Amino acid sequence: MIEEPYRWVEAIANRREYIEGQLAPGSPIAALGYREGILFVTLGQTRQKLFEIYDRIAMGAIGHPGDIERLRMAAIELASTEGFTRSAADVSLRRLAHYSLSPVMKSAFEQIYGPPYLARMLFAEVGARPEDDLFLRVEYDGEIASNGATYARARQDFAVLSGTRQSVELMEAFLKSEHKPDASFETAVNSALDAWSVGHMLLQASEAKELPARDAIAQHRQEQLTIAAIEAAVLERDSSRPIRYRSLADKELRSIITR
Amino acid sequence: MDRSQLGFDQNFSGAADDFPSLLRRKGLLGPTAIGPMPQNATQQQTWQPTEATTILAFKFSGGVLVAGDRRATAGNTVVYDRADKVLEIDRQSIMAIAGVPATAWEMARVLEHSLQYFRRTQLQEMSVDGKVRALSKLLRDNFGFVMQGVGVVVPIFATYDGNSKPEARLYFYDAMGAQFEAADYAATGSGSPAVRGILYYENTWGAKPLHKLSEQEAVSLALRALDTAAESDTATAGVDRSGKIYPVIKIVSREGITTLPESKIAAVFKEMVA
Repeated sequence: MIEEPYRWVEAIANRREYIEGQLAPGSPIAALGYREGILFVTLGQTRQKLFEIYDRIAMGAIGHPGDIERLRMAAIELASTEGFTRSAADVSLRRLAHYSLSPVMKSAFEQIYGPPYLARMLFAEVGARPEDDLFLRVEYDGEIASNGATYARARQDFAVLSGTRQSVELMEAFLKSEHKPDASFETAVNSALDAWSVGHMLLQASEAKELPARDAIAQHRQEQLTIAAIEAAVLERDSSRPIRYRSLADKELRSIITR
Repeated sequence: MDRSQLGFDQNFSGAADDFPSLLRRKGLLGPTAIGPMPQNATQQQTWQPTEATTILAFKFSGGVLVAGDRRATAGNTVVYDRADKVLEIDRQSIMAIAGVPATAWEMARVLEHSLQYFRRTQLQEMSVDGKVRALSKLLRDNFGFVMQGVGVVVPIFATYDGNSKPEARLYFYDAMGAQFEAADYAATGSGSPAVRGILYYENTWGAKPLHKLSEQEAVSLALRALDTAAESDTATAGVDRSGKIYPVIKIVSREGITTLPESKIAAVFKEMVA
């Protein structure tokens, strides 16, 4: 029965709907390129969502912890063996995502008798200059969205990840107007927290099409900060140390939050 | 197409796969020996491996000082006079090497990547005992080569233990991989008998024991010890006065690793040693 093309398309559509439903409550993640590096920010209470992959590469993910774990391990293994046999400079996020992760995730998704990966990932690779920063969002079906310029859109110095499409779109719209690549660390932290709040509000009111009012964002952010912990990490642009990833403690950030 | 393409094992093994075994599985790390020992003894002597010699480390008031001369030799030939035998493994660990550099540098590279791989996959730093054991395992894997007369490596490992009881720790190894924790000092390589003599003497009857020395005093003692080793051992360079080549000196402390700039070593040398 599954050999019939129509049934296959239907099965894929069902599978997509199921996965989207599973990912929908995932807490948003915002990644912002700023003057001294790339900042990842999310809020949560329980599971770690931000990870170090290699010297210049970090990952944020939502989805099933088991699937995230397998993809994370695969990414670390691939980057580590490449970095060991050649050099750290030869480890490239573009190659890792396009040639290794994406094909495998696509075939897992389309082989409808096997389980797909229930995960959505956001990768970033810090460059020597803000223009060289690379952000890639890898979907459960192997689709990759990058921050590069397209016909319809200018290059972005940020990337976001969230449970629903509307949430992602409005977070991007917010950061497009609020965020500048030469922002200081303090400004970037506050923009990222605002973007997270926009994304989180949209997950709760999925019908909304417009950006929430500024004071509503501030109020939501305030409420969430009192109940949830900030999880954050940076990839530092400073090349004096080979390993650029550094996770930031909640209390390191609380002192620089404004408003 | 299946998930094994991602190159990782789907079976639960219980313990985390360590990095060297991952490399072996992928065929990226050589075997532990290259076949039976050659029977013909004359054939063995036709080729001399490059070797690097004399490294020392001791605890002083500011942590652990690790120093190594710069010479690499093959038999009676000096191959290189700017070799770096004091290698940083992570932010608070140093591996210093005496023996065959080809094997030692590869070993240091595997160790460095192993510790990073552990931190990234397991989301925690490897303990000091774990790091010491990881190097021991690499030496043991290499023992087949040692028995064949090539690739002997005798390292020193210095690190700062920030966890259990914050203090600098110092270990030395034999070629089979046995690890020994040093209370005050360690030296290995062909010039080490002279260095051990000096460090024992200084620690026991010197103006003050090694662990009370200031940084300046520690650096001058390290330079004097390497220069003494070079006096009788041709494989050790000591300090090259005409070529202005100084030993590499690094310090492990609570703050991490400090590499002493050549200008500073040169100044201490001029004042206290030359």
